[in-house]
Amino acid sequence: MRRLFIKLFAASLALSFCAWAQDGQGGGRGRRGPVPTGPTPKTADGHPDFTGYWRDDGNANPHGNIGKDLPGFKLPFTKAGEAAHSYNVEHTVDPESLCLPGGIPREDAGDGSFQLVQNGPDTVFLYQYGTFRVVPTDGRKHSEDPDPTYFGEEIGSWDGDTFVIDSIAFKDTKTWADENADPHSDALHTIERWTRPDAGHLHLELTIDDPKFYTQPIHFQRTWVASPGQHTREQACSENNIDVSAGHLGFGPGPIRADGTRGYDNPAPLPPPVSKTNPAKTILPPGFH
Amino acid sequence: MMTFTYSLRLVALLATLATLPSGFVFGQDDLGGLTATAPKGKSNPAPRDAAGHPDFSGFWKGDRATKPVGNIGKDLPGFKLPLTPEGEAALQFNLTKTIDPESLCIIGGTPRHNASGLPFRVLQNKDSVAFLYFYSYYRLIPTDGRKHTEDPDPSFFGEEVGRWEGDTLVVDSIAFKGEKVWIDENANPHSDALHVVERWTRPDADRIHVETLIEDPKFYTKPFTYQRTWLAGPANQPITEYACSENNIDASHLGPGPGPIRADGTRGYADLAPLPPPIKPGTPLK
Repeated sequence: MRRLFIKLFAASLALSFCAWAQDGQGGGRGRRGPVPTGPTPKTADGHPDFTGYWRDDGNANPHGNIGKDLPGFKLPFTKAGEAAHSYNVEHTVDPESLCLPGGIPREDAGDGSFQLVQNGPDTVFLYQYGTFRVVPTDGRKHSEDPDPTYFGEEIGSWDGDTFVIDSIAFKDTKTWADENADPHSDALHTIERWTRPDAGHLHLELTIDDPKFYTQPIHFQRTWVASPGQHTREQACSENNIDVSAGHLGFGPGPIRADGTRGYDNPAPLPPPVSKTNPAKTILPPGFH
Repeated sequence: MMTFTYSLRLVALLATLATLPSGFVFGQDDLGGLTATAPKGKSNPAPRDAAGHPDFSGFWKGDRATKPVGNIGKDLPGFKLPLTPEGEAALQFNLTKTIDPESLCIIGGTPRHNASGLPFRVLQNKDSVAFLYFYSYYRLIPTDGRKHTEDPDPSFFGEEVGRWEGDTLVVDSIAFKGEKVWIDENANPHSDALHVVERWTRPDADRIHVETLIEDPKFYTKPFTYQRTWLAGPANQPITEYACSENNIDASHLGPGPGPIRADGTRGYADLAPLPPPIKPGTPLK
C-alpha cells in the first residue's frame, strides 16, 4: 500500500524511499532497475525526446540543496539573502508540506521522480505532488509584466539538442529555493539547460541568478535516469494533511548537517499509517466530521 | 498586470457560473475565456497520432450550450438520479456535513471533472494520455496494455486503465475513495463500489466527446450515463499555475454542501456572504 500521506518533511527526514513506497512502481530515490541503453530518441521534428519517467541517479548529493556544487555547500548570500534565510528557517513552515507548489529551482533539486511529456509545442513536467508545469516552446518571449508564480514565467527554446527554459517572475515571500529553506527573491532568474545524452540519462545544468539574495549566480547540475513503464501517481496533498493540522511541524527544515542535508534526528512519532481498517481522513474545520 | 482573482474558489465560481463573464475568474480574457460556442460549418477531420489513433491533445473548453453544468444527472429526466436508500443518506450527509472537497484543495476526481465547467488540457502519448486540470493537478492514464491490478489503492481518479477500441479511447476506472467525495458539483455521492467507463471520441478537429458510464450499485439502483462535448480552444491558451492551498479562505468561509439545488439543475446561494477584500499589491499572502 502507498503511504503518500507522509509529506515532504517526513520524506526529507527519512532520506531514502520509505515515504514514497511505490511498490511495483519502482519508487523514487533508491530503487535501481536496469537503465536503458541506446541512442537518444527523437521527436518527429528531430529534437531529442525527453518524454518518460525520470528518477534520481543516486549521485545528486546532498539532495535538496542548491549549494550542492559549491565548496562547503556554501551559498554566496547577500545581507538581504542571509536575513531571508534566517526568516525562512525561523518563521516559515515548509511550503510543500502545506501543499504549496515547490516551484523552481526547488523541484530541480528535489529527489522525487517526475514524468516528462513533450507534446506539440509544449514540454510538460508532471511531479509527484500532483502538480505540473507547462513550458511553452512556441517561440513566444517573456511578457511585459508577468504575474509572480512558484514556477515563474517559463519560456522554452531549443539550442541545438539542448532544451533551454528561461524563467522569471517568481513569488518571493515564504518560498523555499530548496529543501534546506534557502531563500529566493522576486529578482530570481533561472536558466535550465536540459539534455538527453543517450536513452537512459537526462541531464540538467541550472543557473540560479538572484542579485537581491546572492552575490553571484549559482550553478547546479545533476542527472536523472530513465525508468520505462513507471508513471507518477495521484497524490491528494490536502487530504489528511497532518502537517497542517496536527501541529506536527516546526519552522524551517531542521538543522543543516555537515553533509549538506537537513532534518531532525529524532522526529516526533507519526500517526499509524493508513490501511484498509484505518483509511485516510479528510481534515475538516471544527464542527464538521 | 492582470488582476489576481485566484482567491475566489470553486463554490463562488459554481454559484455564479451561469452569469459568469468569460475569463472572469482565471483572468484569461485575452484568450477567449473558459467556455466556447460550437463553430458553425464544416470542421477539419480529427488529427491522428503516429500510431493512427485520433489525437486528443489540445486545450478543451466546455460548450456554452451544455446545461446544467456540474450535474452528473444532466441527461436524466428531471435530472433525477436513481439513488438507493444508502445513496440518499450519503447525499444528505454530503449536503449537510461536507465542505466542497475541491474548495479544500482535494482532487475533484472522476467523474466530477467530466461534469465541470472548467477547461482542461490533454497530452496524448504513445503509451499514456494525461489530463491537466485547472487546479494544478493531473491524471495520467496508461494506454500501454496493462490491466487493473488485484488490490488497487483507492484514489480520487480511481485506478484508470486506457485502451483503444477502434477510434474510441476507453478509460475503465475502479478503486475510488468512498467517503466525503462529491461525484459532481451538486454534492451527489459515490461509494467505493464506483466503476466508471469513459468512451472518448474526437469526431472532428474542433470537438471531443465523452460518454461516461457510471455504475455504483451501492448508491445507485442502476447504471446511468453522462455525455458531453468540449470544443477546441486556442493552442496557446495556458493552464496557468494555481496554488490552491495559498491563502485559502474557503475552509473557514464556506458552509457544508453546494447551496440549494435550483430547478434548472444548478446550485448555489443566491446571496453570497461577502468575501474578504481582495489582496492589495505588496501584501504578503497568508
